[in-house]
Amino acid sequence: MIVDGEILFVDRANVDTDQIIPAKHLTGVTKTGYGQYLFTGMPGGTDLLASKPNASVIVSRENFGCGSSREHAAWAIADHGFRAVIAEGFARIFLENAYTNGVVPVVLPKEQVEALRHVDRARIDVAAQVVEAGEHRFPFELDPLRKAFVLEGGFLDYLAKKIDAVRAWERRRAEMAST
Amino acid sequence: MTKTLFAKLWDAHVVEELPGGNALVFVDRVVAHEITTPTGALEIEERFGDRLYDPDRIVAMNDHVSPAKDTETAVQAQVLRTWAKRQGIELYDIGDNGICHVMVPERGYVEPGMTLCCGDSHTCTLGAFGAFALGVGSTAQGGAMLAGCLILQRPKVYGVELVGRLGHGATAKDLALTVVSRLGFRGGTGYVIEYHGPGVATLSMEERMTLCNMAIEAGATSGICPADEVTVAYLQGTQKQRGAADLDQRAARWRAARADEGAAYDARTTVDLTELRPMVSWGTNPGECSPIDGTVPADAPGGSLDYMGLRAGQPLREIAIDQAFIGSCTNSRLSDLRAAAEVLRGRRVSVPTIVTPGSQAVRRAAEREGLHDVFQDAGALWTHSSCGPCLGMSMGVLAPAMRCVSSSNRNFPGRMGAGGRVHLASPAVVAASAVLGRLASPQEVGERQVAVAGGVA
Repeated sequence: MIVDGEILFVDRANVDTDQIIPAKHLTGVTKTGYGQYLFTGMPGGTDLLASKPNASVIVSRENFGCGSSREHAAWAIADHGFRAVIAEGFARIFLENAYTNGVVPVVLPKEQVEALRHVDRARIDVAAQVVEAGEHRFPFELDPLRKAFVLEGGFLDYLAKKIDAVRAWERRRAEMAST
Repeated sequence: MTKTLFAKLWDAHVVEELPGGNALVFVDRVVAHEITTPTGALEIEERFGDRLYDPDRIVAMNDHVSPAKDTETAVQAQVLRTWAKRQGIELYDIGDNGICHVMVPERGYVEPGMTLCCGDSHTCTLGAFGAFALGVGSTAQGGAMLAGCLILQRPKVYGVELVGRLGHGATAKDLALTVVSRLGFRGGTGYVIEYHGPGVATLSMEERMTLCNMAIEAGATSGICPADEVTVAYLQGTQKQRGAADLDQRAARWRAARADEGAAYDARTTVDLTELRPMVSWGTNPGECSPIDGTVPADAPGGSLDYMGLRAGQPLREIAIDQAFIGSCTNSRLSDLRAAAEVLRGRRVSVPTIVTPGSQAVRRAAEREGLHDVFQDAGALWTHSSCGPCLGMSMGVLAPAMRCVSSSNRNFPGRMGAGGRVHLASPAVVAASAVLGRLASPQEVGERQVAVAGGVA
């Protein structure tokens, strides 16, 4: 999987999920249709987004996706056409949600994020775990288990295959508790 | 080998180690609400049929926008209702519902030693009971309902030792804000915060819930308190309500939910409760807060100050407010309402003030004590239970540049309404601020009244 596209540089730390999508838009019962609300909670967010209508890579600072557990944040990002978020760090729940929804979460150190400010495009080879942008080539880490989910989906199918093992574990636990 | 409480909880629930430091972690209880559950619930029904791991391990409630405010939220509530009925899941609904993090302990769905998850970041509240409780996305929550487990990276443990005892008008909310400020807004990321030390025993269960509720605001996966006699006493009450018979046996198990003596933490700090004072936030994340007697710090980030319309060095108690809110999963329990009522008794609010109990049971208990009269005599609005204005989703939404002092947990830009400004504080500070129309400590309200009385005499 290659993500190759324009960068939207969101030069703020702590982009919380209320900025990504305000709670008033969390009124659906499906995973689609949230892209129109992306960054509407961020001061200047709508104009920023409009300045790069074709961007497919978000680059941001520390603690991206902090706050609420709303998966709508990842859905809004994906629905708007973004395929990857490069940041200095992610909040845990957003990170999990990104993997589950095909949004590649790339953690790069501060100076490398800073370097991306001066380039327009990035090419992310997800399988090889490397970001290429201008003259830069930045390798990055991915969770080896969740990498498969971001590449191929299948999060729920993976869990479904574990049900028998979980039931067996729970039976053993009950037996141990009763002895 | 000595173990932290978290290590005990984790080890007792790992079904299987997975690649890359992940584990399959068994979930004893899934909490479901109308905003985040329908998506995952419908998806797993569609893809895997009417097959849940164990409907008895799930409890559902309409809590965020209940009663519904429009067609969309009505559909969410209705989907939750019909799904719960179809699957045989216990549901709390209009008339007997409330904020899930208030309802779950109140109705006895959490016990020490358990793991719990919900599609809601403030699920960490339940860690107050010596349980591992965490917020997850809708799909992960759906997975937990389908397969009984979560995929998690094992977090590290941040030991926060509590010593001393709260005084000087400081509350558990001030402790929570102090911890978030000390660790930093992202300083707890990758950690579970485990509270320990002699100060824990001085905190009531409601105070521990307020404390653990805000662990997520430091980025932590959860916050946990050890179980002790305070925990056992609380649980014996709620479990009796549920008709549990084997309480003594269970109490022995509950008491085991604590760290071994000398357990090693990956990071640690100590907070002396005696030193705490009432706090208030001045910035755009909960870590940006200071004692209310102080000023906006000289090194406050410019972006936060621009958004909040403040300047460095400004005394916090000079900041005028437009609205006050007492409620949310952080501070909407009976003790919170009592603290606010104590300040408001015999006084009048000078800005629109909304008081929202955390559950219908809290509401009724408060009314039995006459607290609703205190609030309404003071000119405040006493509402039904819900998440209320906290997340800018239904009632009490702020207009741009409107400034609200709030007992909730998030002061993010736009959290309570686009362009709205939020100052986080304890219920007592919110009440005092509502009276004086500016950020104020409860002591000031008292002093002023004394001064007026003195003048008349």
